[in-house]
Amino acid sequence: MREPKPRCNQKAFASEDIENVCKFGAMTAVALLLLCCFAIATHASELNIPATVLAGSGLTIPSSGSGSATLYVSGPGTAIKRKVQLGQAIQLSGGDLQNAGRYVISLDGDSATLFVTAGAVQAMAFLARPSRVPADTPNVISGTAFVFDRYQNLVMQPQPVKFELSVNGETVDRIATTKDGVAYAKLDSSKKEGAAQFTASSGSASVRRVVQEVASNPCNIRMSAEREKNGILVRTDPIRDCAGNPVPDGTIVTFTSTDSQGKSTVDARLKRGIAEAQLPPSNNATISVASGVVVGNEIQWRGER
Amino acid sequence: MKTLSRLAMAFAALAALVLTVPRPNASLVLAASAPAVSLNTANAGPRALEDTTEKAVARDYATAWQAMAEALDQNRADLLSGNFIGAAKDKLTATIEEQQKSGLHQRILDQGHQVDLVFYSPEGSAIEVHDRARLQLQLLDGSKVIHSEDATVHYVALLTAAENAWKVRVLQAVPSF
Repeated sequence: MREPKPRCNQKAFASEDIENVCKFGAMTAVALLLLCCFAIATHASELNIPATVLAGSGLTIPSSGSGSATLYVSGPGTAIKRKVQLGQAIQLSGGDLQNAGRYVISLDGDSATLFVTAGAVQAMAFLARPSRVPADTPNVISGTAFVFDRYQNLVMQPQPVKFELSVNGETVDRIATTKDGVAYAKLDSSKKEGAAQFTASSGSASVRRVVQEVASNPCNIRMSAEREKNGILVRTDPIRDCAGNPVPDGTIVTFTSTDSQGKSTVDARLKRGIAEAQLPPSNNATISVASGVVVGNEIQWRGER
Repeated sequence: MKTLSRLAMAFAALAALVLTVPRPNASLVLAASAPAVSLNTANAGPRALEDTTEKAVARDYATAWQAMAEALDQNRADLLSGNFIGAAKDKLTATIEEQQKSGLHQRILDQGHQVDLVFYSPEGSAIEVHDRARLQLQLLDGSKVIHSEDATVHYVALLTAAENAWKVRVLQAVPSF
């Protein structure tokens, strides 16, 4: 039968040598345990940081242990390498964390990520199209607004944006809500021509653009004809669109005379709202007038050559 | 015994063979090709997306990522000019300047982008996308790797038509869409 191995708490084996060995072993184990605790205490710096931080608000990172370590922070617009004292709170300023996005923070071998999110709306990019538009036309003016905070971060939280179009005291507005930082609206042009003030505003940000609203196509064209020394003088009445706005000068008006000799066509530009031209002499002609898709009255001309 | 020694020799030979096969260098891969961009336009609006625009956006966005990876790795802001504009360019330039001061650089091993086009402005000059980017990210202090991770990062990007290309005006990582 085998002899049992001596154990420290058994009096049967309490000879001095064995006792000393047991004491030495216990002391060694305690020392090792203390050493491990010390090592953990001096180097433990598990990062305790929030998942998100508001742009520009800074951050305090608690640290444990003792001694120094290197802090690394990497994110949009930021690349920090700094010696820090473990056991003391580590400060990151608002300037260190002002750009929205993903940051990696690394301290003494431990890493963590956090997201910086945009603050309140303080700036806006506003796209307004077109810069020149016919009056009294539906859904012809578009505005797109991108909202940013003071650090040029796109504000992802939904925000109301007011689009306002104002010309000659007549104002139309529409409110849209941003989605991922962008909102848009389509508006009708005003009935009256003029320089329209197109404004987008959200929070403390407001941006204005000018959209020139001009008369639309002529509503109708009326002309008269009279004999002249070298032919027939044709002249329109002042040409307006259907909202009563004078059609812009420079608009082309075409006069056509058809007789037994054939067809004569003259293009004339509108000047002070009126177009006029001289057609070749004829004693039996049909004279017509048109501008774009709009056709005016027709005159049966009877006269001598 | 003989069988064991033969097996050991075979393993040694295999290991030697594996070690002698040339492996692609990460930085060379970055320089060589733009990342894969899969563009989904099903939710695009309010303007309908033209085929040529769709191709141009995918191409220019991929090129922008390639340029950014190279610029952040080599700390060269001049590589950004062709693909970034406005706030995105300013912030990346600031990152590179800070990295230069600290002796840091980043290595991005780009494993592809799942991109949803979520907004195309009515007048056709701005596009917003949601990008699920699969990336291997490393932060290096000189040649020492400080942080390394494989991550899928969500980005919101705003691209605007400039010159003859779509340039990235905003590139912002977000926790989720």
